[in-house]
Amino acid sequence: MAYSTKVLDHYSNPRNVGSLDKNSAEVGTGLVGAPECGDVMKLQIKVNPATNIIEDAKFKTFGCGSAIASSSLATEWVKGKTVDEALTIRNTDIVKELSLPPVKIHCSVLAEDAIRAAIGDWKKKNGQHSQPQAQPVEQRA
Amino acid sequence: MALTEHKKPEQPDSGILVVNQSRPTKVNCWSCGAMRAAHFCQECGKVQPPTPVDYFTFFGLPFRLNLEPEKLEGEFYALSRHLHPDINAINSDREQQWSLEKSSQLNDAYRTLKDPITRTEYLLRLQGVQLEEQSKAATEEARRTGKIKKQVVPPDLLEQVFELNMQLEEMRMNKKMGEPDRTLERELQDSRKQLQDKYNGLLQELQAAWNQWDGLIDRAEQGGSVLEEDRIAVRDTMVDVLNRRSYLSNLLRDIDEVLES
Repeated sequence: MAYSTKVLDHYSNPRNVGSLDKNSAEVGTGLVGAPECGDVMKLQIKVNPATNIIEDAKFKTFGCGSAIASSSLATEWVKGKTVDEALTIRNTDIVKELSLPPVKIHCSVLAEDAIRAAIGDWKKKNGQHSQPQAQPVEQRA
Repeated sequence: MALTEHKKPEQPDSGILVVNQSRPTKVNCWSCGAMRAAHFCQECGKVQPPTPVDYFTFFGLPFRLNLEPEKLEGEFYALSRHLHPDINAINSDREQQWSLEKSSQLNDAYRTLKDPITRTEYLLRLQGVQLEEQSKAATEEARRTGKIKKQVVPPDLLEQVFELNMQLEEMRMNKKMGEPDRTLERELQDSRKQLQDKYNGLLQELQAAWNQWDGLIDRAEQGGSVLEEDRIAVRDTMVDVLNRRSYLSNLLRDIDEVLES
């Protein structure tokens, strides 16, 4: 199966690989995995406490090219967004952007999970219990 | 019940405990009109048309997970001999076609059932579990409730998988540079041992779940009632064990690959 040029680009030149201080109150960490393929993905965000804007994001993924590309793209997309905006990112957006074939959709699901988990961790640290975000819109999606 | 009436594996009815009542029993032979067993006519020995049956039924087995590998193998060879297209080469075109289709069905069925893991996965699929869709389903649930997604494997296992992958990456790099790190190598060897123990423990858990499952099948076959919640509990235990197992087996494979490279 051929990867799309966008997947290849993210795979050979991944953005934002690395890690942030997971003990910092401004940092949220999400570690997720999919038993279907055995991939693991760690995504971290650094949030400005005054604006709730995600100022930095890092990831480290062990998995196939699509999983790496999905998480690389996810870090690019969350940067500059508020946490609430970042929560509206859907795996289907990632599928579209990277032209992922059906067998690789679970990679995009993993990336969405990672964003959600990182934000959840950050909220927990900051005493906001994950409330349903922008729920009316999301439920219709 | 005729074989053709049996549910196709693609449309499992997960609501009830599936009891395999449709052992390849007797149907009229298309050739001589006599009653036949599933694959051949018992009277004239002609190969019978393929029917869309699940793999357990194909072998005339109940939906039990404990099975005798030697028996299955014997059955496989016996059927292979009779279904082989070469043997049927002198028969009519449609018989040749049938024997070809049935041979391929036989190979798939045997390959799936002989391996304990694929056998379990197959049974779970028949029970309506979509192993490939678990993650997606949990994500959809998380979106709906706005909660953090329920991970299908425990977080501490994920943590371990992640850490080990970091070490493996480092080890690969060291080896590439021609400077293998002996301490790291020993650590990986230790981890490998622990993982192998964990893996063996999982297989024991799986065996226990098999026994429970087979107990339910036996009870149902004897006309006893089986509680829906019992069926679901055993099924979910097996799904959980298989999920954890797939991580461990990947890790063991990767560690071996790095240590032996």
